[in-house]
Amino acid sequence: MASKEILRVSDLCVDLFTQRSVIRPVDGVSYSVAAGETLAIVGESGSGKTVLNFAPLGLMPTGVNVDLSGSILFNDTELVGIAEPALRKLRGGSIGTIFQDPMSALNPARTIGRQIAEVSELHMGLSSSQAESRALDLLKLVRMSDPDARLKQYPHELSGGLRQRVMIAIAVAAEPQLLIADEPTTALDVTVQAQIIALLKDLQKRLNMAIVLITHDMGVVAGIASRVAVMYAGRVAEYGPVGDVLVEPRHPYTMGLIDAIPRADDAPGSLFRGLPGAPPILGAPIPGCAFAPRCHAAIESCHITRPALVSTVQPLVSAACPIINKHNHGGAYVQH
Amino acid sequence: MSSTKSVLRVENLVTRFKSVERGKWVKAVDGVSIELRPGEIVGLVGESGCGKSTLGRSIVGLERPQSGRILLDDIDLSGLGGRKLRETRRAIQYVFQDPYASLNDRQTIGEAITEALVIIGIHDRTRQRRRVHELLDQVGLPDTVAERYPRELSGGQRQRVAIARSLAVEPRVLICDEPVSALDLSIRSQVMNLFLTLQKDLGVACLFIAHDLALVRQAASRVYVMYLGKIVEQGTSLDVYERPTHPYTRALLASIPSADPRIEATREVPALLGDIPSPTNPPSGCRFRTRCPSAVEACAVAEPPTVWVGPGHGAACIFAAQIRATEVVPQPEPQRLPQQLSA
Amino acid sequence: MKFLREFLSYTSSLPRLAIWAVGTFLFLGIFAPWLTPHDPNAQNLLQAHLGPSFAHWLGTDHVGRDTLSRLILSARTSVVGMTLVLVLALSVGVTIGTVAGYRRGWVEEGLMRIVDVGLAMPSLIVALAVIGIFGTGYWNMILALALAWWPGSARISRAVAVNVMNRPHIESLRVLGASPARIYFHHLLPATLGAVLVYATADAGAVALAIATLSFLGLGIQPPTPEWGQMLVDALPYLESSPRQVILPGLALTLAVIGFNLLGESIALNRVPTPLSRKILRQRRITAAAWKKA
Ligand SMILES: Nc1ncnc2c1ncn2[C@@H]1O[C@H](COP(=O)(O)OP(=O)(O)O)[C@@H](O)[C@H]1O
Ligand SMILES: Nc1ncnc2c1ncn2[C@@H]1O[C@H](COP(=O)(O)OP(=O)(O)O)[C@@H](O)[C@H]1O
Ligand code: SF4
Ligand SMILES: [Mg+2]
Ligand SMILES: [Mg+2]
Repeated sequence: MASKEILRVSDLCVDLFTQRSVIRPVDGVSYSVAAGETLAIVGESGSGKTVLNFAPLGLMPTGVNVDLSGSILFNDTELVGIAEPALRKLRGGSIGTIFQDPMSALNPARTIGRQIAEVSELHMGLSSSQAESRALDLLKLVRMSDPDARLKQYPHELSGGLRQRVMIAIAVAAEPQLLIADEPTTALDVTVQAQIIALLKDLQKRLNMAIVLITHDMGVVAGIASRVAVMYAGRVAEYGPVGDVLVEPRHPYTMGLIDAIPRADDAPGSLFRGLPGAPPILGAPIPGCAFAPRCHAAIESCHITRPALVSTVQPLVSAACPIINKHNHGGAYVQH
Repeated sequence: MSSTKSVLRVENLVTRFKSVERGKWVKAVDGVSIELRPGEIVGLVGESGCGKSTLGRSIVGLERPQSGRILLDDIDLSGLGGRKLRETRRAIQYVFQDPYASLNDRQTIGEAITEALVIIGIHDRTRQRRRVHELLDQVGLPDTVAERYPRELSGGQRQRVAIARSLAVEPRVLICDEPVSALDLSIRSQVMNLFLTLQKDLGVACLFIAHDLALVRQAASRVYVMYLGKIVEQGTSLDVYERPTHPYTRALLASIPSADPRIEATREVPALLGDIPSPTNPPSGCRFRTRCPSAVEACAVAEPPTVWVGPGHGAACIFAAQIRATEVVPQPEPQRLPQQLSA
Repeated sequence: MKFLREFLSYTSSLPRLAIWAVGTFLFLGIFAPWLTPHDPNAQNLLQAHLGPSFAHWLGTDHVGRDTLSRLILSARTSVVGMTLVLVLALSVGVTIGTVAGYRRGWVEEGLMRIVDVGLAMPSLIVALAVIGIFGTGYWNMILALALAWWPGSARISRAVAVNVMNRPHIESLRVLGASPARIYFHHLLPATLGAVLVYATADAGAVALAIATLSFLGLGIQPPTPEWGQMLVDALPYLESSPRQVILPGLALTLAVIGFNLLGESIALNRVPTPLSRKILRQRRITAAAWKKA
């Protein structure tokens, strides 16, 4: 772990002000990513994963005002409170982004060759012919079949998997140091998902990028990430190396999530394991542990005081649960 | 098991759409035969765009098949029309992927379910109210939900409401089109368990369409694997998942990511390269040959028939018997690459 | 009460100018008889071509009629005419459009062919042709404009209806075995009508303009009924001496048309969120500040 730290987020809070209400979808989140490393952010929909990553980059829809507090250091540049022009230079430049729905992020009226070339013109100062040839190189880099013909095609002529490859080509066009991928494979089939994951891994190795990958699929986490932050209702529930968190989860929520994944030895027709209840609808910060109403292990204090993220028996893993360290080992989530 | 009479039988169904290429057709479902027995959950899996939804929609009459037969309790639905068809076909219900869109956002939940009751001729107010209560209870929702609007409910609750409404007409078959794909991880199991309970308690047969193979493995007793409009493998879940015989099923199963990083660390190349080809111009012969690791020249010549490798276990591949016998997928000779064949 | 509050909060998000223009237009149109200070048709040649005075706020015209009263009553002529045209055009258009959207297949093909022919001809030409055949007159004008306008609403209705029919909630009714009548009357028609009325708002301005145009040409509203187009014709010969008589009706008409256009457009675009106002933002900040302390 001697590689350079690219991104350090500390105690980040995001408040969203909308026409109707105020919500805090991100409440005191901290993590860091180093060059060449992948951090996965997992959580259910509405847990604040997208806001966490895109609100600081100024990528929120109009009609929503954002207040940030805490700190985000990107290569020693503070992003909280940074001016919009400086941010614009980072977006698409040294920070690449990929969205879940490539169709809405691509311009339907332009060829994909043009769209890829544009990024190189904008951020690398290439001439238009240089950018064209770079677009071709990029399509080869993302292993598009028949790249010459693809340059002249429009987004709607491509399948979901190919569009996502185009998005990746655009995201890495300026050779970013950090790639933020928001559910890049959620809309894809497992077969195509496997291809995209393999591609991302390969690109990471070549460009020594740091990747923040947002997903709700534990399989994707296991396949690509070295560390993982599990989010619940805008907070980090558990944070640590993938090998520890997925194999021996310590937070009751992580345990429940992993336990709910169907296993090969589950008998056909047997009931599915899972968590009771539903995640809360975000609004004002929740006083105690947000997971307490669904937690089998909750004690009284869980409902009153917010548990801090503290390290567990495994020093690299931290979890926000007061009873974690009382167990000598957290792997037992016995329910049946 | 095979002695039980089927509640739903689909024979050689073909459904096509006008293609965006002028004058061409997309055969989204191309000669599919499937069968559901009473109280059985049957999975239908395959990549997106292979025709799963079209098959389901054709069965309930949302698409008009070009040919083939749909038999409900041995009654051929194509022989019926108008009101009689509506009343007979009602025994097959459809659960949509997006539970929000499948409810009218101007109706309360109570009104939506009551409307289903009115449709089957229950006009008595007290009877309606009692039945709405019963149905909500059956899907695990409190009575108070009846006064709410769909937008006030969570995704999981909406899907339960959609299920409750289908149950109002006392169906014998439920066609569930990716019913939990839009739901959250921790909610999915709850809704899946609801399906399992309903199937046990009410004996409703269920065609469970999904692209999540792990989910289907646990829920379904039998599985159909679909590729580009055709069923390529079928059998009991145990057979298909433990001894997959079609190269496509094998690739599909090998692509399922594991949540265990120790297993993922050993994964090398993706099991299946490329995308599903356009159904407007499907490959000749075996449709999977352009992506198949075992394809040989013969695969391009004629469509491989379903080979029965075990009781109820069939695969449409010329190597089915060999794969089944040896558990090893035959490798092609290097000079015969499938891409060259497709020219 | 709840409905009123919802309506008010909704209108507050629309452009002010449009709300004022359309609101005033409709208000005048509905209450005109009680609002006019003078009899709009009372001639008094001794008081012709007067400038604004306390008795006649906006002066009088060439035969001494009170301009303000005539402008107000013209709004009523316009509102009534416009409403009649739209009700007729929408009834035909929505019926044909929803039937086409419901039935699909050859019924749709046939109906839409007819609609296409109607759409291919400019509205005003159609109206002129109809008046040419049937002669001038109030009801002939209404009929002529309705004939010119229904194809547009038919096409929009069909588009909306097809969209509604493909929505899963209608599909799930079909699967439940609901009768065609139930689907059509309980679900398709109300949903389509709602959406089509939005488009009709933008059209209302164009209809008002068409009524004025026809009247200007002497083919629509006949004297002595006050009407903006006609007021323009009457005043034209005196353009140099009293331009006010031309400008005022022209201005009224323009405001009404622009108002309807802006309104229709902003209703259609209402989904696009607008930035938060300072006031709301300040309120929200106060709420959030309270969290930080806790
Ligand atoms: N544009 C927006 N307007 C209002 N609320 C929003 C907006 N975007 C996100 N939110 C709120 O922020 C919370 C977190 O959303 P998001 O980050 O998109 O979750 P995730 O990406 O984990 O699914 C949600 O509960 C949602 O209510
Ligand atoms: N209404 C339609 N018009 C034209 N093509 C369609 C239509 N519905 C589906 N298709 C095509 O039929 C094929 C199968 O689609 P679908 O049944 O939705 O697949 P799946 O449900 O397995 O993802 C796809 O190629 C799709 O493009
Ligand atoms: S028939 Fe040939 S191409 Fe098709 S699956 Fe079998 S081996 Fe592969
Ligand atoms: Mg998101
Ligand atoms: Mg589908």
